[in-house]
Amino acid sequence: MASTDRRAAVGAASSGAGEYLVADWVRVRAESFGLLFYDTRSTRLTFVRSGDSLVPPPFVAARRVLGVRASGENAPPALSRLLENLVARGLIIGAENDS
Amino acid sequence: MPRTTLSSTPLRAPVNVTWEVTKACNLRCGHCLSAGVGAPGRGELDLAQCRALLDELARMQVFQVNFGGGEPFLRADFLDILGEARLRGITSCVSTNGTVVDEILVEELLRLAPVYLQVSLDGARRKTNDLIRGPGTYDRILAGIETLASHGYPDLSLNMVVTRLNVGEVAEFDQLAKRYGAKTRLSRFRPSGAGCASWEDYRLTRDQLVELADYLGAHPEILTGDSFFALTPAGRRTLGLNMCGAAKMTCAVAPDGSVYPCAFLCDAAFCAGNVTAAPLSAIFGSSPVFARFRQLSVQSCRACDRFSDCHGGCPAVAWFLNKSLDQPDPECLRRVVPAKEVA
Repeated sequence: MASTDRRAAVGAASSGAGEYLVADWVRVRAESFGLLFYDTRSTRLTFVRSGDSLVPPPFVAARRVLGVRASGENAPPALSRLLENLVARGLIIGAENDS
Repeated sequence: MPRTTLSSTPLRAPVNVTWEVTKACNLRCGHCLSAGVGAPGRGELDLAQCRALLDELARMQVFQVNFGGGEPFLRADFLDILGEARLRGITSCVSTNGTVVDEILVEELLRLAPVYLQVSLDGARRKTNDLIRGPGTYDRILAGIETLASHGYPDLSLNMVVTRLNVGEVAEFDQLAKRYGAKTRLSRFRPSGAGCASWEDYRLTRDQLVELADYLGAHPEILTGDSFFALTPAGRRTLGLNMCGAAKMTCAVAPDGSVYPCAFLCDAAFCAGNVTAAPLSAIFGSSPVFARFRQLSVQSCRACDRFSDCHGGCPAVAWFLNKSLDQPDPECLRRVVPAKEVA
């Protein structure tokens, strides 16, 4: 329940700019250090020290948007670099927000 | 992106769960990690209980279930279980002896894709495999593999438990797997289940351990999971975990729902609870047995220069040989080879 509330708040904070979708072949969950990604194609794990700046979508959903606490021009450089790194690894995909 | 340090951070749920869905098996392998396989066990979880466990695994956001047994495909509702796991977004890996694989089963598995299939074969040669898995099994297993290969099954690996009898065939085994478009997986022989009785006959000699470590070091493409993390050179260990994941990254569920720290420690001394009596999340989070594993530290290894690479190795091997968890892995390279010879 707590994570649902948190996700709603994050969703509002990140609207307006481009958003990031978790790749179809990837699962991700929250851990104390940040996010833990699992690539179903290789069964490899990626540990990401993101604190609470990134919030995972539900495990199974039609469109899984990664919650970003500060995005676009408001994103700290380190967070932008982290997102670029995750895109480069094929774990998330950048998408234009059509809302 | 930091990985090695974060991987030792306590997780709120396992990454994967080994689930032995039945004790039923049509083979009697000399090294089987499970004890007493043959007929289905008493009190095995029924399909409704399996669905409830899958619901719990999904709530916990467990990424992967490694299904085993016994022979999981001997369970009449096993394809239903795989389908239910898929619906919940859980990745399935199945360890099978391959003898019941036929055209119909392969088509069903392709419909449920991805299902990572690991077929056990304990030698590149008929004589070697049949000594371990039983007379006539090599041909039956190969028939299953050929059926999978003829359908272009995409997620196939051939697994060999490395013993004194087959260690000389590792390269040949790798070639055989390639011939079928499969990956090679090597697993460590541990003295659990039926392996307790065959330990002295099957365990690797000192020279074989060194040769295997060298081979794995030179062949990073061979899958080993965490089997050899304590035994192999530093370069190889970076491919997987550098510490025992029992009760931290993984845990095991027995056919009757009993929960253990890992599939190699399904011993009454380590039963942490039962999923029919308590949610797996509660067992994983608050079991004293699991808490003990998370605090486990092999003091006698702390001074070793390889401690950060293996943290004392596999506690299951130490337990079954010495009835103590606080013992170094008996097959650690540093224990069998002088320091100057170890990479």
